[in-house]
Amino acid sequence: MVKFGLEFVPRELYWKTTFYAIQAERAGFDYLWITDHFNNRNVYVSLSIVSAYTDRIRFGPGVTNPYLCHPVVTAQAVASLAEIAPGRVVCGIGVGDRTTLGMVNTEQVKPLAAMRESVGIIRAVTSGKDAVSEGEVFKVSGARLNFSIGSPIPIYLGAQGPRMLSLAAEIGDGVLINASNSKDIEPALGFIKEGAAKAGRSVDSLDVAAYTSFSVHDDPKRALKAVVPVVAFIVAGSPDVVLQRHGIQPEVAAKIRDGISHEKWGDAFGSVTPEMVEAFSVCGTPDECVEKISRLVKLGVSQFVTGSPIGPNVRRSINTIGTKILPNFKG
Amino acid sequence: MEATSIVKEIPASLWETAAERLTDLILSAPSGFRLPPGLVHSILYVWQRDQLATETGLSRLLEAARIVDAEKTEAVLTELGVQVHAVASLRGMKMVWKV
Repeated sequence: MVKFGLEFVPRELYWKTTFYAIQAERAGFDYLWITDHFNNRNVYVSLSIVSAYTDRIRFGPGVTNPYLCHPVVTAQAVASLAEIAPGRVVCGIGVGDRTTLGMVNTEQVKPLAAMRESVGIIRAVTSGKDAVSEGEVFKVSGARLNFSIGSPIPIYLGAQGPRMLSLAAEIGDGVLINASNSKDIEPALGFIKEGAAKAGRSVDSLDVAAYTSFSVHDDPKRALKAVVPVVAFIVAGSPDVVLQRHGIQPEVAAKIRDGISHEKWGDAFGSVTPEMVEAFSVCGTPDECVEKISRLVKLGVSQFVTGSPIGPNVRRSINTIGTKILPNFKG
Repeated sequence: MEATSIVKEIPASLWETAAERLTDLILSAPSGFRLPPGLVHSILYVWQRDQLATETGLSRLLEAARIVDAEKTEAVLTELGVQVHAVASLRGMKMVWKV
């Protein structure tokens, strides 16, 4: 049965995020992912308070990165959370967001090596072992925690490109595919299968999540209006190969990028087309969203993550998802 | 007048609606708006137990809503059929948590 996750960006007051987390648990969501950017509220502070006010939903960073947070510190953080909420913590890790890393002059050095080494370190440390790494990016000798936790913490890798997708399947417990459309998910699953095969494992042993931009409302125009700003940012940050796959001209994407960088929001958002919304989000009425989610599940997605904006009104959209979408998949 | 007294003026059949309306009002608080942490934690505690639409839950929500926007809270109470004198007492309501 497909699982459902919800993503929050902790831009809101902490108590609003926590309120929505309680609501998401009550609505039947299985996972809660909170993003990690230095300019929003700290991910682990946000997760700590969520852990205190929820009982069942699994949660974790979605995703942290090893460039601003050393893997031993990530291990410390998720292990500490696991002490508060045993069996409920997951760890999402990726190469991070280029824009915010750029603000602090931090490069995504050797991303594949960084991810491989980070996962190794986090797994060792959270399993109570000494982490030893003579890696290309991280050198660690005998790092271990002074406390132990009962069970391993599943590690999900955030991935979009072929080599990272393959690596995620090779070494992760799950993959967070940064995509919303079957044109991107289908080839991604191919790379995941390759990576799993390389490691001698079945894809079924992995939790493969479509980490989408999502917007639902009974009025499709309201759903669309809410998602346009998010899609603009996605288009602005997408590599040409992805844009071409969806028939989007790089010059149009450049115009949106330019609008965003100069904070000319009208230019940026006004350039978003219905084709872009279709390509980079799951957006529409509940029935339309059910149909789009079903397509992805048929391809092999085992977790569907509803990411920003969720809808024009977050509280009402979570209710809508809980009453009109989840029952189609959870019986 | 205390929050619980005003809550008792809301018809019991409308307590779910009242909880939704007051919650929406509180969630509309602008970014950076400060509510007393004790009050916020109290509301989250009650919400975790699905008890917002109870006398305790509504009292907490009413206090928070009054801090966020007293005028809109008065409008919500009026729509819910709360007597004029009780609505009028909102602004002088005894607050458990201080801003």
